[in-house]
Amino acid sequence: MNISPPEQKFSSDEAAILQEVMNIAFGKASADLARVIDIRVVLNVPHVELIGADGLLQRIKEETKVYDALSIIEQNFWGKFTGSALLAFPSSAKKGLISLFDDEGEEVSPLLEKETLLEVGNILIGACVGKVAELLGDMVSFSPPRLNPHVVISNLAKEAVSKHLAGAGKIAVLMKTVFHFEDKDISGFLFLVANQDSMEWLETALNNFMANF
Amino acid sequence: MIKKILIVDDSQVARAIVKKCLPKDRDFELTEASNGQEGLQKFKEVRPDLTFLDLTMPVMDGFDALKAIKEEDNLAVVMVLSSDIQKKTVEKVVTLGADMVIPKPPSAESIQEALTKAAKLLV
Repeated sequence: MNISPPEQKFSSDEAAILQEVMNIAFGKASADLARVIDIRVVLNVPHVELIGADGLLQRIKEETKVYDALSIIEQNFWGKFTGSALLAFPSSAKKGLISLFDDEGEEVSPLLEKETLLEVGNILIGACVGKVAELLGDMVSFSPPRLNPHVVISNLAKEAVSKHLAGAGKIAVLMKTVFHFEDKDISGFLFLVANQDSMEWLETALNNFMANF
Repeated sequence: MIKKILIVDDSQVARAIVKKCLPKDRDFELTEASNGQEGLQKFKEVRPDLTFLDLTMPVMDGFDALKAIKEEDNLAVVMVLSSDIQKKTVEKVVTLGADMVIPKPPSAESIQEALTKAAKLLV
């Protein structure tokens, strides 16, 4: 786990608690998705990092650079826990993803493609963010999900994701997990970014979470 | 009576939560490991009465660790403690020999239930 400058507000203990909270939350999210598609979602150990918001896109580029292009589903959330979630799949995985939902070999129209990606995003982001918030004693509201079906990694610009993620001098907590579908050659990335406005609450909530045991 | 407990989880926080959920009025000999490979090694050294085993871990995951522990001792009592609560995951670990699957985060009640079940299995 990396805790990096610019301003180290989180202790390593707090980051470790957040990593475990994220682990529990993504377990819940993957179970929700697996119930729908009847395929096991294989999880990796989540990663938590404190990062300057202006370096966020560069970080996401680095994480996903093995792919030429991504389909990105973005959803903002707000409560005491406020930020954005980005669910990213390689653009080449779109057909495979649709096949997980479509038993009848329906022709893949742009509309079906869009609706499938938004549904996967809705399930994974909603369940994961909702569980993080629940574990930390909060409840969040969500914006409608936004799909950018084809983002070329080398051109991943600030416009590809919500503008409020950027912000010179601000700090964000980046939570990342990589997952894939068992027996399918499909991987995805989930990035949760809690913005600086959540930081103070998040520190208290993480300590309260541990105090519950 | 359960005396020796092995907790295998890459998260120090998760291990701390398990320890906090153990009954305070009992004296356990606790051993910890931070991945499946280390867990297997500690299992061989300590021969615990009960192992709490996470699934999603680096180096060696909990599935391989469970398989290896059961190959080492088919009667080993292993409770999987995981955030991965998918039906197919549960089926897989039960097939591999897990005695119980406890969703994360555990509670004092779920840990007590595991201790009670482990004690019965050891009789």
